[in-house]
Amino acid sequence: MDEVSQSILAVEGLSKSFRGLTALESISLEVIHGEILGLMGPNGAGKSVFVNVVTGFYRPDTGTINFGGRDITHLPSYALARLGIARTYQNIRLLRRMTVLENVLVATKDHVEQPFRSVLARNQSSFVTTALALLEQFHLADKRDWLAGALAYGEARRLEIARALAGKPSLLFLDEPAAGMNEQETEELAGTIRSSHQMVEAIVIIEHDVAMMRELADRLVVMDSGRKIAEGRPNDVLAQPNVIEAYLGTDGPDD
Amino acid sequence: MLVEQIVNGVVLGSMYALIAQGYTLVFGVLDKLNFAHGEVFMLGGFICLASIALGASLPIAILVTAIVSGLLGLLVEFVGFRKFRSADAHITAALSSFAIGLVIIDLSQKVWGAEPVALTLPGTLQTATISIAGLKMVVLRLAILAISLLLMLVLYLVVVKTSLGRRIRAVAESPTKAALFGINVTRVNQQVFFIASAMAALAGLALAVRTGYASTDVGFTFGLKALAIMAIGGMGDIRGALIGGLLIGVLEALAFQWGLGQLADVFVWLFMIAILLVRPAGLFGTLVSKEVRA
Repeated sequence: MDEVSQSILAVEGLSKSFRGLTALESISLEVIHGEILGLMGPNGAGKSVFVNVVTGFYRPDTGTINFGGRDITHLPSYALARLGIARTYQNIRLLRRMTVLENVLVATKDHVEQPFRSVLARNQSSFVTTALALLEQFHLADKRDWLAGALAYGEARRLEIARALAGKPSLLFLDEPAAGMNEQETEELAGTIRSSHQMVEAIVIIEHDVAMMRELADRLVVMDSGRKIAEGRPNDVLAQPNVIEAYLGTDGPDD
Repeated sequence: MLVEQIVNGVVLGSMYALIAQGYTLVFGVLDKLNFAHGEVFMLGGFICLASIALGASLPIAILVTAIVSGLLGLLVEFVGFRKFRSADAHITAALSSFAIGLVIIDLSQKVWGAEPVALTLPGTLQTATISIAGLKMVVLRLAILAISLLLMLVLYLVVVKTSLGRRIRAVAESPTKAALFGINVTRVNQQVFFIASAMAALAGLALAVRTGYASTDVGFTFGLKALAIMAIGGMGDIRGALIGGLLIGVLEALAFQWGLGQLADVFVWLFMIAILLVRPAGLFGTLVSKEVRA
């Protein structure tokens, strides 16, 4: 009973197949209040499918998703965004033709409900102040008026996380945030993620980078072929034979 | 005389521009053409006429026209576009909106007949003139011009400055991304249809008040020209729709001034072809598809 009250997200028996190919096979897991949960697994293990189902982009075939005590299994993605589930993408998805500041403003939660509020300058300033503070935290404030499409890769990655946080989510999914980054950028990103952690109740990170996972994650879940094969503290899980085999058994991550 | 004609052309052009704004807004968010739009414009004159016949004053009639046509816009969005959102559904959406337009014409003719119906306002609003710098102008035309420009300025500010505008631009760039930013894309589409339809109907109201009658056949002629204007200005660009509208209005007025009134429509279409040959994306357009942008 204690566990139930602690979990912010509870996924129960989630399955999803595409044209007969099983992508998720009865996955159950919980995200506990206050933790950074790492989700690992070789390519094709179903990690991204899992996130896509939980964030409403795919409908699950079976299973339930419970978020903050509420059944969200069949809600569309924009509604989940409003309820407090935010995510970033492996391939960066920013509004490239809008400015850096506008990208954050569009995602700002209070904004969504009140179409004309920003006409009133006094109210607008509080939105803008919040957004600017976020940009400041992500070292993007001096580029507030740049078009998002003009940002360098690392900056765009940071903006993507800032954008996700703008909606004041309680749960944040980061889908391979370090993809395409060098060691130093990855190091900086880990710092950014740790500071983001104070703004949300829990973070789920999908990542191949073992070092990063060891450093950041409180708990690891490892998936293979659509199933959960291990769960626990990072050092324990990474030492499990079936986890090592799952990783060595493939050519390694390349996406 | 020439200056007067040019002013008349600008007034006509501002009405074209009001209609074209609606085409271009909807095209911006959906990448699809709304062929019912011209008939919503046409109906604006009749909604005004009916309101006045029921005893409403002109300001009330204007309000009723904007609201009723805005709601009609929601219906057009639901019937003609809601189910045809995918990129492959261009033709289906075009056909279904075209069919809605035909239904609107047909029903209008059943109610008001195929002949133009007189719309006479009490007082001298439709005839009063004013002399400015030696030019005699019909006050109503200047008022129409001023109100049209004001409406378009407000629309521009809404799109550029407000959160609604940011959401419209977000959906215009990519509905998928907009959804993951927490934007209810369907709601934005509805808002765009409401605004576009209300603006078109107000243009229809202005035309009916100016000419003194409402007619069921203006939707086709004006609607088609407004489409051309959108292409001239650049698909999806509201500045382009304004400039294009004014250009075409003046061009037509000049055709009349030179005694070539019979050829005015020909000029419009030749002008469109010429502009598009030189600038295939129109004056302000870039011809970048949503996919490439995303």
